[in-house]
Amino acid sequence: MKVVTGVVGNDIHVVANRLIELSLNARGYEVFNLGVNTYLEEFFDAAVETGADVLMISSLNGEAEGWSREVKLLKAKYKNLDDIIMMIGGNLVVGTGNAEDIVPRYKNYGFDIVCHQVDLNTGLDMLETLLKERSIQSKETKESNK
Amino acid sequence: MSDLDVEQSNEKLLIDVGSTYFKLSRTGHIEQHLRDFNKDILDDLMYKCGKTVEGFAKDDVYICSSANGGLTTLIIGITNTFSLKYATNIAFNSGINIIDTVLYQNIEDYSLPSDLIDVVIIVGGINSHGNIFSANLYNYLAQLRYSNIVFVGNEIDVPAIKENIENIDILPNIIDDRLHIVEEHLREYLTNLYQKDIEGKEDIKHLYDITSNQIFPTPYIVNKTLPLINAKFSVVNPFILLDIGGATTDIHYSKDLVDDNLVTENEYDRLVFKKLGVYKSKQSLIFAAKNNEFVYELLMHLKVTENIFEEQSEKSTKILMQLAIFLVLCKISHYRKAYINLKLLAINSIVLTGGITKVLTSDEIEDIISFFYKKILNSEHNPMTVLDSNYDIWTLGTVNTDVDADTYISTKEERGK
Ligand code: B12
Repeated sequence: MKVVTGVVGNDIHVVANRLIELSLNARGYEVFNLGVNTYLEEFFDAAVETGADVLMISSLNGEAEGWSREVKLLKAKYKNLDDIIMMIGGNLVVGTGNAEDIVPRYKNYGFDIVCHQVDLNTGLDMLETLLKERSIQSKETKESNK
Repeated sequence: MSDLDVEQSNEKLLIDVGSTYFKLSRTGHIEQHLRDFNKDILDDLMYKCGKTVEGFAKDDVYICSSANGGLTTLIIGITNTFSLKYATNIAFNSGINIIDTVLYQNIEDYSLPSDLIDVVIIVGGINSHGNIFSANLYNYLAQLRYSNIVFVGNEIDVPAIKENIENIDILPNIIDDRLHIVEEHLREYLTNLYQKDIEGKEDIKHLYDITSNQIFPTPYIVNKTLPLINAKFSVVNPFILLDIGGATTDIHYSKDLVDDNLVTENEYDRLVFKKLGVYKSKQSLIFAAKNNEFVYELLMHLKVTENIFEEQSEKSTKILMQLAIFLVLCKISHYRKAYINLKLLAINSIVLTGGITKVLTSDEIEDIISFFYKKILNSEHNPMTVLDSNYDIWTLGTVNTDVDADTYISTKEERGK
């Protein structure tokens, strides 16, 4: 399973990014870490070059929402990214905010998993759950297509 | 035998054959002649400066050339940030001009270039990701006219690519497993092609009658010289070098001026604007100027009108060159216009080389540069301008590539005998 990760925009908070790479490796993922200061187009382009299954965006400094609003528009320009799992985590608003408002809003922006101020391990567990669900689903569709 | 003997070897004659001019340089002398395009290059050269050339042994004559306009390439890649950008960077640094880049997922929307392309480069995917290319690539290529074709993408697609594209050369992937660039194989391949192209061109082939040294592409020589530039000029890093020629404009820039995912070992990279020159490409330069919203202000600032474009005078050549400087700076300043954006506010020096240094004074150049910074970047920033009026950069480079080439060894051996 291939994951492209990085910190979006002009954000330079690097600590979580390093931890994400280590934790993903420890869980057996193949990680492509674009590091801090990564633009949205670079994330999508990296997914195209690597054939990644998951795009894991991190944002700490408050830029998240501005970039997230661009996600659908930009992703629509790519012809092979429909199945990619989109995930975002960190500090997703300026200030505190509450997850009940934030999560649906970000799902609307095009993310499958949204982790506002969620601890990394919890976030990675959420990813595993989703991956399991998807693999069951895809088995079911395959069988019903038979 | 000591290295000193080599340094004291015979005086050398350096010749640069450009699209518009010949330049000849030997100790203390520089000559420059407008080319006669109805003549074979060697005949023209011998007619104009035969006496000088005849005074040198073949071993002491060094030639570089951009007269064939350089090789052209079309690049097909799967993303702007990785495959296309990496291949573009390698092509530019090898002295190749890019006709077009094609984003593979939209390949059906591109119109076919009518020119014969010297080399088509296909790239995409890391080695563990394949099955990227298929029939729409082969269909596109079937309609394209090209002389060489090379695949530098993922390993998985290699068998299919080989089966479907005749005479394709396969090289190692230019994208490694961490999405970093791998330059050497493609760079060597392109430089060799350029070499073969030069050798194949009758015009250039004849030049081997007067030299026994390898003829190099001029931009390649210039790029190799930049790390040594401080030997001749007080240039403050980071800098850009503008070579505004008759047909194209080359920009060489310090890597400190780009801030992006492209991590190469070069200290300096090159970028080319084809069809931006003051002789052969004059019409397209004027076209670009007329489409730039600030050009009228610039003309006003220079106290001339649009009519200057129709004129054929010393004054109009000057204005054209000033426009060229302005347009080039504009082209590298807007996000995404060029494949790379330079941090223009961080530039400490702008070095100008080529014919322009013979036509414009430092004041005239500085005037344009500060106009650009004020108008376009809203800044009082004023990088130092350095004029390479004696072609020192090219001289330095020609002599120094000699040092790392085989000639150095053979000179030593011959002397040792
Ligand atoms: C260290 C730090 C800096 C350092 C960064 C050094 C570096 N290169 O990393 C410096 C001083 C440079 C800095 C600068 C700034 N910072 Co700062 N910084 C911090 C600080 C104190 C710690 C961040 C950190 O490393 N934490 C440790 C890591 C391990 O934790 P974490 O980042 O929170 O990540 C965890 C989770 O969020 C989660 N996670 C993160 N990403 C993802 C992604 C996914 C998918 C998942 C599931 C989970 C996940 O996993 C991690 C482990 O559990 C925080 C405050 C704080 N205590 O959090 C502010 C903080 C992040 N900074 C903040 C701000 C505003 C700035 C500046 C704008 C300040 C300024 N005005 O200049 C600049 C921005 C610079 C820039 N261009 O990005 C704010 C952001 C506010 C917001 N979002 O509303 C914070 C929260 C401080 C605050 N309370 O105001 N900062």
